Amino acid sequence: MGTPQNIPGAVPVYEDFARCVHCGLCLNNCPTYRLWHLEGDSPRGRIRQMILVGNGELPLSEGFVGHIDKCLDCRACETACPSGVEYGKLVEHARARIENEYQRPLFTRFARNIVFKRLLPYPSRIAFAARLLRFYQRSGLQSLARATGILKLLGLAEREKLLPRIDDHFFFGELGKTFPAQGTRRARVAFFAGCIANVTFTKLNEATIRILTANGCEVVVPSEQFCCGALAAHAGVRETARQLARKNIAAFAGGQFDAILTNAAGCGSTLKEYDHLFSANEPEHAAAVVFSKNMRDVTEFLATLGLVATLKETRLRVTYQDSCHLLHGQKVREAPRQLLRAIPGIEFVELPYSDICCGSAGVYNVTQTEAALDLLKEKMDYAKATRAATIVTANPGCLLQLRAGAEIHKTGQNVVHVVELLDSALKQQVIP
Amino acid sequence: MPASLLRELNSLLGSSNVLHKNEDLVLYEYDGSVEKARPDLVVFPHTTEDVSRIVKLAAKYNVPVVGRGSGTGLSGGALARGGGILIVFARMNRILELDLENARAVVQPGVVNLDITRAVEHAGLYFAPDPSSQKSCTIGGNVAENAGGPHTLAYGVTVNHVTALELVLPDGEIVRVGSKHGDTPGYDLCGLFVGSEGTLALVTEITVKLTRKAEAVKTLLAIFDAVDDASNTVAEITARGITPAACEMVDGWTLCAIEDYIHAGFPRDSAAILLIEVEGLREAVEAQAAAVEDVCRTHHAREVRIAKDDCERDLLWKGRKNAFGALGRLAPSSYVLDGVIPRSKLPQALQQISQIGKKYGFSIGNIFHAGDGNLHPIVLYDPRDPRQFENAIAASHEILSYCVELGGALTGEHGVGMEKNELMPLLFSDADFDLMRRVHDACNPDSSLNPGKIFPLSKGCGEIRVRKQAETLPAHV
Amino acid sequence: MTATANLATRLEGILGAHRVVAAEAELREYAIDGMVPGAIVHPASAQEAAEIVRFAITEKLAIVATGSRSKLDLGMPPARYDIALDMTGLHEIAHFDPGDLTLSVDAGMPLRHLANVLSEKGQFLPLAVPCYETSTVAGALASGIDSTLRKQYGTARDFLIGAEFVDGQGAPCKSGGRVVKNVTGYDLHKLLVGSLGTLAVITRLNFRTFTLPQARGGHLACFSNLEGASSYCDAIEKCGLPLANLETLSPEMVALTAAALRETNAEFAGHLDPAKWCVCASFEGSEAVVPRIARDLQKLASETAAADSEILDAASDAHLGSVSREAFDWLRWASPSAALFRIVLPQSKPGDLAALLCVAQESSLRSALLVRAAAIIYFVLLAETEDESALHTLENAAAGVFFLAGAGQGHATLLHAPLKLKSRVNVWGPKRADLGMMQRVKHSFDPQSIFAPGRFVGGI
Ligand SMILES: Cc1cc2nc3c(=O)[nH]c(=O)nc-3n(C[C@H](O)[C@H](O)[C@H](O)COP(=O)(O)OP(=O)(O)OC[C@H]3O[C@@H](n4cnc5c(N)ncnc54)[C@H](O)[C@@H]3O)c2cc1C
Ligand code: SF4
Ligand code: SF4
Repeated sequence: MGTPQNIPGAVPVYEDFARCVHCGLCLNNCPTYRLWHLEGDSPRGRIRQMILVGNGELPLSEGFVGHIDKCLDCRACETACPSGVEYGKLVEHARARIENEYQRPLFTRFARNIVFKRLLPYPSRIAFAARLLRFYQRSGLQSLARATGILKLLGLAEREKLLPRIDDHFFFGELGKTFPAQGTRRARVAFFAGCIANVTFTKLNEATIRILTANGCEVVVPSEQFCCGALAAHAGVRETARQLARKNIAAFAGGQFDAILTNAAGCGSTLKEYDHLFSANEPEHAAAVVFSKNMRDVTEFLATLGLVATLKETRLRVTYQDSCHLLHGQKVREAPRQLLRAIPGIEFVELPYSDICCGSAGVYNVTQTEAALDLLKEKMDYAKATRAATIVTANPGCLLQLRAGAEIHKTGQNVVHVVELLDSALKQQVIP
Repeated sequence: MPASLLRELNSLLGSSNVLHKNEDLVLYEYDGSVEKARPDLVVFPHTTEDVSRIVKLAAKYNVPVVGRGSGTGLSGGALARGGGILIVFARMNRILELDLENARAVVQPGVVNLDITRAVEHAGLYFAPDPSSQKSCTIGGNVAENAGGPHTLAYGVTVNHVTALELVLPDGEIVRVGSKHGDTPGYDLCGLFVGSEGTLALVTEITVKLTRKAEAVKTLLAIFDAVDDASNTVAEITARGITPAACEMVDGWTLCAIEDYIHAGFPRDSAAILLIEVEGLREAVEAQAAAVEDVCRTHHAREVRIAKDDCERDLLWKGRKNAFGALGRLAPSSYVLDGVIPRSKLPQALQQISQIGKKYGFSIGNIFHAGDGNLHPIVLYDPRDPRQFENAIAASHEILSYCVELGGALTGEHGVGMEKNELMPLLFSDADFDLMRRVHDACNPDSSLNPGKIFPLSKGCGEIRVRKQAETLPAHV
Repeated sequence: MTATANLATRLEGILGAHRVVAAEAELREYAIDGMVPGAIVHPASAQEAAEIVRFAITEKLAIVATGSRSKLDLGMPPARYDIALDMTGLHEIAHFDPGDLTLSVDAGMPLRHLANVLSEKGQFLPLAVPCYETSTVAGALASGIDSTLRKQYGTARDFLIGAEFVDGQGAPCKSGGRVVKNVTGYDLHKLLVGSLGTLAVITRLNFRTFTLPQARGGHLACFSNLEGASSYCDAIEKCGLPLANLETLSPEMVALTAAALRETNAEFAGHLDPAKWCVCASFEGSEAVVPRIARDLQKLASETAAADSEILDAASDAHLGSVSREAFDWLRWASPSAALFRIVLPQSKPGDLAALLCVAQESSLRSALLVRAAAIIYFVLLAETEDESALHTLENAAAGVFFLAGAGQGHATLLHAPLKLKSRVNVWGPKRADLGMMQRVKHSFDPQSIFAPGRFVGGI
């Protein structure tokens, strides 16, 4: 077994592990514990395994890797933990270690390699892959595959529903542009567009820019921005994540921005923690700290700035599913709710257990389909019970997952991003 | 552990409900306490019949069984001290019946305490026992430990809210005691089994009372510059016969750690705070709040704040309920004690605890149910230093002995478990033990169920058991 | 039977002559359902009580511990009855810490005297049980009889925090403690509540005490039928008004209560209409709370179409309260041959009550019914004679009552009945599923079955 020292960036120390006083207060907030009720799939159990593996008291075995792989990295345990255990930090380190030292089965290795190292870091490749997928979705092949039940036969039926629908035009074209504020300029912000979102959430990104400019923000979309590296970092492909971080930090440096914004909570929590990717003595660390400090989720920023654009009355019963990486990763709870309540006519109902992950969690729904679907089922049961017409959330990944959920479980509910709902109120049209 | 036992369990429960690999078993050798003991097998029953069959198998192979809920216990109750089969009830977590009209819920033991309230709050009801661990601990664990909580002061502990139990005895027999409405003719068997720490029977179904939410509630935060003032306030509130729904004390130093976690606006420079809640009819609440405030001011409270709304109230309680955990921010390890004293002796007890801390060179936090006289001194120590662990144990024994000296008890809610069993002779005589042992043996004659708990293993006086260091952490980090 | 010859002399040998009584007339005063003990012993300490128990063990004698002997007719008569252990000689307050609201008191302490001592410090013990003026604290507890304050303060198990007792091996034992919250060891003291002396001889009890309320109040509402009364009670429960007691009285019960009130000669300003169903509420609290509750009750009564309703003044409420507290007592003697049941049903619906009354009607028996604390039904069948035909009718009616209780997933016990009926009807109702467990408990406390053998559930 190799020593963990060859994992780049900050490494957790004794106190980081010792903070866990094994009180168990996090158990029931952990989606995977709630599913299986196994200590090994709980935050407390995962931390204990990391300690034991670190001590050499347990081997870095398939079992350990399995439990760590199943972790959604939703960080609900951080919110629950009174002791301040920084679980996200610990699990990323554990994953990095697994990536370094553990031989995965060949096929998995191959697939992971492609996604994390060969696809996500390269915008052009994302666009290409997306065009392929779009072809599949639009060509009728998809309906054919669905209709013939081939997917079901292959055990892919539900997994396929979880795939993003590829947009007709991509957001990549908007990179490098600046959008002026409407009315008096109240702030100058930079927009982080995301990677996959460029091909699947073009409309969301456009809506984000509209709502920002309508509320007096000048929005710059720097070119030369790349994937945030969240998926790589969460998967333990640490060097890739660090490379991406370096590029992004450079792309947003020196723009005199009041804030850097994202509408993807998953990206946001990684971007806000770029400083964790580098140890304090590395040269990039200082710039990373500056970058992270300036990072905001769009809902967080708008709620603080305050809305000035007039919003049309929208008669709609809505509920809100917390995005893990917004609530647990960034500790933003009230902002999206506040924005929703700001829309006249909205009837807001809380979704029970909205703080529990929907099962999306980055690429989790693809790598751990069964668990993701179980979580989704419970989520949709509660969502249905709210009798809300629209489920609102704050992260593209969650949107996909919940849309799939609404389809699979036939809840007939519409799923939108907070920003999209605001945007539609802006455009004086009512969401169906 | 015979391989045929594993085979039989696998075929009984399916292999996904049985753990046998070392890498899985080590995750069940701890709970919330500082104790450790590893089971040989871990099983997850789904039904009462499963439990009965598991227990019968265990009897056939002559191995002990131990029940476990969420493993948040603070006395090592859920640890397999004699090895054997650990029965984890977490997957027996269905709410079987909600009878809102009669304010009863029938639940399986693995249901999480707070989930009962979540299931009935829409009807203005809730499950009153509210241990600080309520978002994680199971009702089965609550029943076993007779768990209390801040609101125990007015509403009583678990036993006051349980009317019927379904039990599995160590020979596999399934027995029902009590009845839905309660008030069953005959001995109060629920009263015996609740709080028996899983040493008499396994609990497989529980009927609980639901409580109606009070019409009005007021939460006061009183801030003191001297601990004595705070404890005198509690003593006087009690003596004046004001019964708040809850009366909790947190020392100033712990408060800072809590504030770091939840940012509720707790002061950072106080000596102690009291969190006092009064509930009931509007008129009563007004009058009680005024009386409480008056007592606080008489005892030099620097400030008395009243929570403006539910939000502020929730935040204050969040601070209190997460207090233990928040101490993890101050030291690598902490040891939570659970002594009880007569409430009139509160000021002197707190002084003595701080003296004992000084003697052993520890900082001791105090977060506790002051209104009940249920102390939770918390000794902060560094487990890397074995001397510190031994001293922590020694200090805790001295504190608990002092509680007994004041006319108190060894545990108010966390149970005896394998943590305080050697201290039991401080309170009980041989005759007391004999009778308890006979009752124990009437249900659990071979001590096959949760062995090594409650009863002292070493005959004789409460000498201090010298324990090994509790845990180790990675060398490289 | 055991050789009880010169029992008294041998007992005298242990504790001295002044502690033992064997005169015929006095023995009769200790009779239980006609059974007379061989001797009466008056221990003056727990130690002395333990000595007698040890003597009884070696001699295989049966002991019944007694207090004021006001409720010896509860349960079945004992199978054997050699020694009456009169505990009234243990009557000290061992410890009272008003600042902690905790109390430790000897078994034989009369409730009335205890109340006087506690009230000096503004406190009390919420054991408002029948025969209050004479009852001892341990007797009240071991009888398991209901307190009229149970709705607000719970039953004895809720405020009993510890006990000392002599077990069936003659060893002085204890459990619990003197603090209000305690989980150290098994809660054996809880088992003593309602155990009718079948587990141990209680020598001392520890309680948490309560502060006397600032004010008390009462309210009376009359309804022309049961449904009206029920819907009123439901409405009260729904809005969660905190009441100390809430009793629903059938018209016959109203008449009996009015008669009992008259007998006390106390001034009672309220109007009890014997043609109606009456609901009496009592409540306590601060000066501000009491009128508020009275107001709310008035409102609820009018909303549920009460025929009549009134707020009682404090004195009238107190009188009515003490009369209803004694209901168990006077109902026993309300006819020459009365059978008094205590019934608990998970859902005390009007239909259940009507069904009970129906049982009486079909047997052509007078009956009266009282629902206490909105939970417990006292139901009395009033036969006029003890002859065979009356007994037969009662026996059949009793079967009906037990059947109804069982069908409603509840249970019934026959608190009082003519002895001849008790020998035909199991006063504890049909066999219970947890009997085996109770026998195990009994055996571990009292392996030789020397304590009140046969009085308890299932022949324990
Ligand atoms: C941060 C923190 C705060 C706490 N605060 C409180 C508090 O305020 N009040 C309080 O009372 N306690 C408190 N506790 C202690 C603990 O949470 C309680 O004792 C709780 O009741 C344990 O529940 P559990 O499900 O975790 O049980 P476990 O720890 O798993 O088990 C506890 C005991 O119950 C037995 N058991 C579990 N299930 C069954 C069953 N079905 N049948 C028979 N036996 C069973 C076990 O054998 C063991 O003896 C706290 C603990 C922590 C870590
Ligand atoms: S992670 Fe936090 S909440 Fe979970 S067991 Fe550890 S200390 Fe407790
Ligand atoms: S990050 Fe989420 S899934 Fe992982 S341990 Fe924490 S709560 Fe569980």
